Amino acid sequence: MEKVKHFWLMLLFLLMVVIVTVGCSPDDTAGDGDGSESNDDVVEGDWEGQTINVQLIGDFDMEDSTDPITGEKTQGLQVIKDEFESQHPGATVEFTIMPWEGYTEKTQAMITSGEADVYQMPGIADFAAQGVLEPLEPYIEEDPDFDLDRFIDNQVEGWKALGPDSDELGIWGLPFLGDARFIAYDKQLFDEWGVEYLSEYPTMEEVAEKAKQMTGTNPETGEQNYGIWFRGDWSSAFTLINLAEGQNGSWGSGFAWDEIEFNFDSPEMESGLEWLLEMQEYAPEGLVSDQGSEKWLTQDNDIAIMLNQGPGDTIMPAYAQGLGERIGIVQEFKNDEGVGGMFAGSPITMAKDSDNKELAWEWMKFATSETVQQYVFEEANGMPAIQAAESWESYAEVENLMAPTMEAMSTPWTPRYPWASSQPRFILTSEVEAALTGERSAKEAVEKAQKESEEWLENRN
Amino acid sequence: MVKGKISLNENGVEDTVNIHDDVETIKSKKRKAALTWYIFLLPSFLGILLFMVYPIVESFRLSFFRSNGTIETFIGFSNFQLVLTSKTFWNTVWNTFFIGFFQIFLTIPLGFIFASLINSIRRGQNFFKVVYFLPNVTSIVAAAMIFQFVLHPEMGVVNYALDAIGLPTSTWFSDPSTSKWGVILLAVWHWIGFVIIICLANLQAISPEMYEAAKIDGASGLQQWLFITIPNMSGTFAFLLITGWIGSLQRFNEVYVLGGPNGSPARSIQTMGAFIYERGFTGFEFGIASAATYIMFVIILIFTFINLKVSKMQL
Repeated sequence: MEKVKHFWLMLLFLLMVVIVTVGCSPDDTAGDGDGSESNDDVVEGDWEGQTINVQLIGDFDMEDSTDPITGEKTQGLQVIKDEFESQHPGATVEFTIMPWEGYTEKTQAMITSGEADVYQMPGIADFAAQGVLEPLEPYIEEDPDFDLDRFIDNQVEGWKALGPDSDELGIWGLPFLGDARFIAYDKQLFDEWGVEYLSEYPTMEEVAEKAKQMTGTNPETGEQNYGIWFRGDWSSAFTLINLAEGQNGSWGSGFAWDEIEFNFDSPEMESGLEWLLEMQEYAPEGLVSDQGSEKWLTQDNDIAIMLNQGPGDTIMPAYAQGLGERIGIVQEFKNDEGVGGMFAGSPITMAKDSDNKELAWEWMKFATSETVQQYVFEEANGMPAIQAAESWESYAEVENLMAPTMEAMSTPWTPRYPWASSQPRFILTSEVEAALTGERSAKEAVEKAQKESEEWLENRN
Repeated sequence: MVKGKISLNENGVEDTVNIHDDVETIKSKKRKAALTWYIFLLPSFLGILLFMVYPIVESFRLSFFRSNGTIETFIGFSNFQLVLTSKTFWNTVWNTFFIGFFQIFLTIPLGFIFASLINSIRRGQNFFKVVYFLPNVTSIVAAAMIFQFVLHPEMGVVNYALDAIGLPTSTWFSDPSTSKWGVILLAVWHWIGFVIIICLANLQAISPEMYEAAKIDGASGLQQWLFITIPNMSGTFAFLLITGWIGSLQRFNEVYVLGGPNGSPARSIQTMGAFIYERGFTGFEFGIASAATYIMFVIILIFTFINLKVSKMQL
């Protein structure tokens, strides 16, 4: 009896082990979990049997869905997959989609374990230095069908990075998603206050003067209005750097860590921070904790000027709220050469350990073609990175907001701030916050930021 | 085949008893049974080895390297030296202890008072238990997001109430001097339900005979509470104190939602956990993050040891 009991217990245990093993083992014939389907009936062709995995970040979906902002039906990535596979008979493309939350560590984990062939990679500078990316210059030079002129000016420059052994910036990624920083404003509030709209390239003095004029009780509605708002926490370091750029200053120089020199305590940075402290008087309370701008992009908006805005949170949401004509966009502060503002967006890169590099390169060309870029713009609320966007019908419908955005995308500070995801960014942000909350004066704050960033750099090198 | 075993009969003459192979002794049966259960334990043990022991060991190794995930350089104790001499790190230690101290020393007495009140009512006990326990089953991330609105400088209900009764309002999370109190309020609100339920369980286990005897001796309600209830709650208080401190020292989720990895504003709510996250996962400084993790482990270990001694709790 006891033996029988043991037998059944062992059998049950083995059954559980088998279930767990089968359940946890990779299944080459199944989809990748994000809704993509493998093509079992591959078409005979040049790319017979080759598969690439493409990692994407953000608002992508394999299936068709309804846009939560506009309420319109959007097509899933399946159409892109079908198009690519039809252009490359026999090839299979699979997608791994991840949210923006924690994308850096997830990308690090994926690339360390060789999970994908092509990555959407905003942190390209860190990964190129690790030697895990394929340099793209040889592919570009050898491919007669590909031309870098397709991209918006400065986009390729902005994503250049240093490889593990290189001293000169090289191309490790192609621009995939465009992005920009600009100043947005509410034309209706300007009209109600009788203030002239912001000029296309405003100066700090102009913004300050108009913000001051529009703070107080609105002469028409009788509501409390605020002249300006800017985020005092997360992105405040970049807002400050742009103010320095607007005065012909800069964050510093260099790109490789052993060459970088910070300029956080320059007179331009100090006066920029002083300017922010002054502007705080014309802003609602709570900007240091990202509060006070809740009514922005609503019919009840009470803020006239918004600094350091991005297209993703502005253009389509504005049109969705019926405010497409009410909102205006002008450039961030530029230096005498017409350059200024943080470079942002997402490039796509090729993993060094990709088994199908030729197919991965084909995907990269495809992803930067009009087909995919138009899909990104119309279906995924993303900004295109190619110049041809200006000829699209969908672009024309939102041109009053898109045209200045495209202009902003072509004039940011390049190459991108190499410290944008590292400790100096958090040091500077914390010191801007300390100044905004009265913990330190502007001078003390920038000096402390400079000192701590230099110490960090010294320890790092 | 038989095995021979020699023994003596009652007359002292040698006798042979044959034992067959298939007859198991009690000892071997026990051994086999124990082995079976070890096999059952194996999957979870492998899980612990893979997902707990290995990361702990790997993190210890990383703490001696400068590592960005792929490129590593051995630098000895430099990471520990850097963390231990970092003002930012000690600021996070201060923040962690400050928030933890006030969370615990507000919640335990408050929770105990509420539990005593609930215990003393005859009807509706379960209703109040559910109501008070609800915050504890709410996701702390969602609760933190809601608290941002509750403590909003202009639209928040707390400032509205303060203003209504003529008290000064605050900018809460926009001011380093009040942001910690915002986190403490959230932490107290979230934890108090748990404290009430644990206290109630203990209150209901106290023998009613003790109260009857006290009543006969003429003790008032307050005296009964002070001299019977509270002394009988000491074990529960010790349990809450120790688990509360361990949880407080590991605080991360709510401060990350409220202030990001650098604990805005001006690192005023950055905890040790957030410091580790900031250095490890936003700056690719895995060596520093690992060293800080081990320093945090030692701090929690020492503090828990002191707590055990102070509360005289037996492990």
